[in-house]
Amino acid sequence: MGAEVRRRAAGGRIDRDQTLDFVFDGRALRGFAGDTLASALLANGVDVVGRSFKYGRPRGIVGHGAEEPNAIVEVGAGASCVPNLRATQVELYNGLEARSIRASLFQRAAGAFGRLLPAGFYYKTFMSSPGAWMAWERVLRHAAGFGKAPDGADPDTYDRMNHHCDVLVVGAGPAGLSAALEAAGWGARVLLADEQSEFGGSLLAETRALGGDSAAAWLDGALAELDASGNVELLPRSTVSGYYDHNFLTLVERRSDHLGPVAAAGTRERLHRVRAEQVVLATGAIERPLVFANNDLPGVMLASSVSTYVNRYAVAPGKSLLLFTTNDHGYRTALDWHRIGREVVAIVDARESPAGGWVAAAKEAGIDVIVGHAIIEAVGRSRVSGAAIASLQANALAGTPRRLACDLIACSGGWNPTLHLGSQTGVKPRWSDSAGAFLPGDLGGGTVCAGAVAGTPTLRGCLEQGALAGATAASRAGFGSGRTTRSAPEVDEPPETPARSLFLVPHPKRVSRAPKQFVDFQLDVTASDIELAAREGYESVEHVKRYTALGFGTDQGKLGNVNGVAILAEALGKDIAEVGTTMYRPSYTPATFGAIAGRDVGGFFDPERHTPMHEWHTSRGAEWENVGRWKRPRYYPRSGETMQQALNRECLAARDGVAIMDASTLGKIDIQGADSAESLDRIYTTGFRKLGIGRCRYGLMLHEDGTIFDDGVTARLGEDRYLMHTTTGNAEVVFAWLERWRQTEWPELSVYFTSVTDHWATAALVGPKSRTVLAKVCTDIDLTGGAFPFMAVREGHVAGVPARVFRISFSGELSFEVNVPAQHGRAVWDALIDAGAEFDITPYGTEAMHVLRAEKGFIIVGQDTDGSMTPADTGMDWAVRRNKPFGFLGDRSLDLADHLREDRPQLVGLATDDARTVLPEGGQLVDDPECRPPVPIAGHVTSSYYSARLSRPIALGMVKGGAGRMGETVHCPLADGRVVKASIVDPIFYDPKGERQRV
Amino acid sequence: MFRIHCPHCREARSEEEFSYAGEAHIPRPVDPSSLSDSEWGEYLHTRTNPRGPHREMWVHTAGCRRYFNVLRDTVSYKILAVYPVGEMPPEQGEA
Amino acid sequence: MSEPPGVVCRECPDRAFVNVRGDVGDPRLRDAVAQVAGVDLPREPGTWNQADRSRAYWLGPDEWLLVVEGDDGLEVEGRLRSALDGHFSVVDVTGTQVHKELSGPDVGKVLQKSSPYDFHPRHFPPGRCAQTVFAKATALVAAREDGAFDIVFRRSYADYFMRWLADAAAEYGYRLD
Ligand SMILES: [Zn+2]
Repeated sequence: MGAEVRRRAAGGRIDRDQTLDFVFDGRALRGFAGDTLASALLANGVDVVGRSFKYGRPRGIVGHGAEEPNAIVEVGAGASCVPNLRATQVELYNGLEARSIRASLFQRAAGAFGRLLPAGFYYKTFMSSPGAWMAWERVLRHAAGFGKAPDGADPDTYDRMNHHCDVLVVGAGPAGLSAALEAAGWGARVLLADEQSEFGGSLLAETRALGGDSAAAWLDGALAELDASGNVELLPRSTVSGYYDHNFLTLVERRSDHLGPVAAAGTRERLHRVRAEQVVLATGAIERPLVFANNDLPGVMLASSVSTYVNRYAVAPGKSLLLFTTNDHGYRTALDWHRIGREVVAIVDARESPAGGWVAAAKEAGIDVIVGHAIIEAVGRSRVSGAAIASLQANALAGTPRRLACDLIACSGGWNPTLHLGSQTGVKPRWSDSAGAFLPGDLGGGTVCAGAVAGTPTLRGCLEQGALAGATAASRAGFGSGRTTRSAPEVDEPPETPARSLFLVPHPKRVSRAPKQFVDFQLDVTASDIELAAREGYESVEHVKRYTALGFGTDQGKLGNVNGVAILAEALGKDIAEVGTTMYRPSYTPATFGAIAGRDVGGFFDPERHTPMHEWHTSRGAEWENVGRWKRPRYYPRSGETMQQALNRECLAARDGVAIMDASTLGKIDIQGADSAESLDRIYTTGFRKLGIGRCRYGLMLHEDGTIFDDGVTARLGEDRYLMHTTTGNAEVVFAWLERWRQTEWPELSVYFTSVTDHWATAALVGPKSRTVLAKVCTDIDLTGGAFPFMAVREGHVAGVPARVFRISFSGELSFEVNVPAQHGRAVWDALIDAGAEFDITPYGTEAMHVLRAEKGFIIVGQDTDGSMTPADTGMDWAVRRNKPFGFLGDRSLDLADHLREDRPQLVGLATDDARTVLPEGGQLVDDPECRPPVPIAGHVTSSYYSARLSRPIALGMVKGGAGRMGETVHCPLADGRVVKASIVDPIFYDPKGERQRV
Repeated sequence: MFRIHCPHCREARSEEEFSYAGEAHIPRPVDPSSLSDSEWGEYLHTRTNPRGPHREMWVHTAGCRRYFNVLRDTVSYKILAVYPVGEMPPEQGEA
Repeated sequence: MSEPPGVVCRECPDRAFVNVRGDVGDPRLRDAVAQVAGVDLPREPGTWNQADRSRAYWLGPDEWLLVVEGDDGLEVEGRLRSALDGHFSVVDVTGTQVHKELSGPDVGKVLQKSSPYDFHPRHFPPGRCAQTVFAKATALVAAREDGAFDIVFRRSYADYFMRWLADAAAEYGYRLD
């Protein structure tokens, strides 16, 4: 059938002056601006848009919106291609390239696949033998047939925007528009979102007049009014994809896809994160298909979709229409078809005596109305060529079926309210016998449902209910009285005869023998599959869903679920209400990873924190280590140096000459108040009450369970003022910990904590020559050992900047940690580098720092400890004072029986016997060199380096009962099969008396 | 995504500004040394984990950094009350 | 460039920042701050006061950020310390803070992209301030009479922050002064 035949000469909302060329499955085709890919395909006579998932049957377009199960396409090319779009929701643009992704599956796997995948295949195969998944995964993933993710990096930009509004209106159909107008009129901040490119919903295909004017004119007026209002934001092309707790909703806005790949500049999709005081759900309803044999043949469509293609897109997707309906509304499709001069073969109405206004109009138009009948089977090969109909009494067929010729079957089985969003909040939909549909459950005081989603059948009713919902929502948000201020436009609503519920059309053969009666088109679930599930004993709808895959597709069963539930209910002999629906989950339609990630990719994935000296490190070619979010220099390789060579050089400079490290990242907390010392006593294992002003003390911080979670040096700056150092990674955790105890347990203590981590830039000047270097730029502090001893702090000036200098050491060498306000950090660093030039001052990074401290047996919390270790386990009982008046956090836990066990893992030094092999960090330690399984684990290596100073490897580790095993041997099996022998030694490898740091 | 009223900032803020700080009303024993191992263990580890109203502590991490208590329904996720540390919830619920 | 930028970011240099903590009910605290910095500590949560060259931002029920133009943080801290009595805390945090001013017709959109907080003028009129999540960091944001916003954030995040702002504002036209 040619394009000219399908596209009507006039009418619709397409722009005939703008022709658009596009390619579908390699065929060059043409459409108009205003088309969707689906309407353009139908206009071009493309009947088959894919093959079905399981049986490989030809499939055509069924719907016209989010519900479309068959026309799943991949659009675009290369890295920006999007798999898995519904052709009914893809706006046509010039140059669009689309491929049917569901055609490829059966070109590869052939029809035999269907027999491999009976209902319950997944369930039976993988529940009974978990290993089977391994075997099947590749086949299934390959064959799943829902598109292929592009493998290149996505070149497009995505982002996120936060919104706060008084009223979010979801859906800009008649109800949503009325709600938005009313809420905005009361002054509420309104956000109106609709998934389509044009606002209007069903009005875009409406042929009746509203208030004496055309629907299009009323729509234009409403949109102009909303546009002019200062407090309404309109979001077209925005799918409300998720409805989460406390009225938080996500909207995915497609900003440039309709412009094609040429519009790659700008944001492709934007995720709107909306916090709404009130939500009006005006999401409409989706027509319910009818389940009969071969109902998946191309040419079987929803009646409302046929009308939409005719009225909105000026496309007649066939020549001779057979309408199958259970309600009056469906008659409108036959009337639309008749109006454009096409043949209506007949209206097959399942009801005995329909007598409503549309029925009368159809009869008046001369259309053959066959009452009390049903289509029992569609006929045709790759397209409908006719249908078998039969008389339907109660739930059984009567008489002999007869055949009618047609090339299009429009079905109207009633309406399923689009209640997915409400269901996402965890509120189960409820069955309404009067509406013959599931309706949203009680969504609470923050949500109002309006229009077809609430089961309202008429346009007039939707307009009225929308306005009331808008007024109600505005009022609940604090705007207006809750009464509507405008009257809904008049719409001709003829009387209707009640609909008949019909979920499965009987067939002369049993369901299991009849041609397939499809319930879920996307996953090829048939009525027979559901009955099989019931026979096999499944009763819960959630179990049947998993057994049959009903509703498991990307369409989440928008078309099939209700029929499926009803068929299950019938098979179980239960009411539909009793069976209930499955829960719907975000996202309403599939969302891209791009939209979810937003701009938090690449350099924005995780913030990098930089010290004031960052640029200097960069200029010196530092290799970086990430410590939390901080970028810290790991080492500074000179040209031609290996990492180990650089480390050796940096370590020896610190031991023999002078070296400098950027220690700005250490956490720093300023503590003030009369109870500062008391607070510190309670937080730390050590005592601070008697610490002299200008002196420093090391402390361990324990959780209440007695395990070490931080350590550091705290200095007393004044009578009631201290400065605490935390580890780099724990700065914020410790700060919150201090506030927690102050605020919740010890409000009586007079103490304040202030984080000053970012305020101070810190340069650690380390080595025998550090005093000489510092003296060149610091003249107002007496740096001699007598005046400025180890573990003391002095205030003065360094390079002319007010500074605090700490004589503390993490290397075991003479060391001065120079702290200056961060804005001066770089200048002071430069001055220290200049001052040290004549001594070949060597910058060193975290790796050398680790070696230096390991030589001294100093632990790193989080590397040598793992969250289960007490001070005793790490040999640091010396840092614990048990006789403080209050005790300290974790104190009591140190006496727990388990913490007193002698076979607990304890910190030890490890020396390899060959004095060459550097043990792997994380390596397991065992007692049996043969490693005969089962191998009891004696411990593991926590830190391991080559020590340039000692000319051999050193390591720290945790060994069960290690403190009592000095001199014994353990074995470390390596990945390459070797087993390395190591002796348990004291963890202090260098300067055990600590003399060097005290000079 | 919760929306939590901070009693210190006196306005509702989004969940990402807050951190959960565990069950509320678990006071630190006054004299830990007088407790048996199992009594101390109760304090360390035993929590109520109710279905329904739950008294919990939150901290306004990205805002005022103050702790406060929340009575929250663990089924509906509704926040039933927000009240200062050291006070009891205005409505006890079934907690 | 013919089009005026939608968002302009301006550096606010040469300011002293001092973190002040104490009991707002204690007149000694309020008097000392007024005497040293010439500004009243705001008592209302989420508000800030301005006087001459000084600003005081509410950070918490017992915490404020004091900003004094053209002064030295350590000296302001010292002067406050001498003027104060009782239980308090004053700390120079000049090194911590980076202070920028964001203005332009599209500044609201950039804030919407960056933070879950509601910066709409109905909710956040001039005189309001809030500490909140900003991109993947945190910031203090304050609404000014002239429609611009003061943004104060931590120095270590400056590189990330400035790149984030430039990227978020790019589609509106962005100028860094
Ligand atoms: Zn707060």
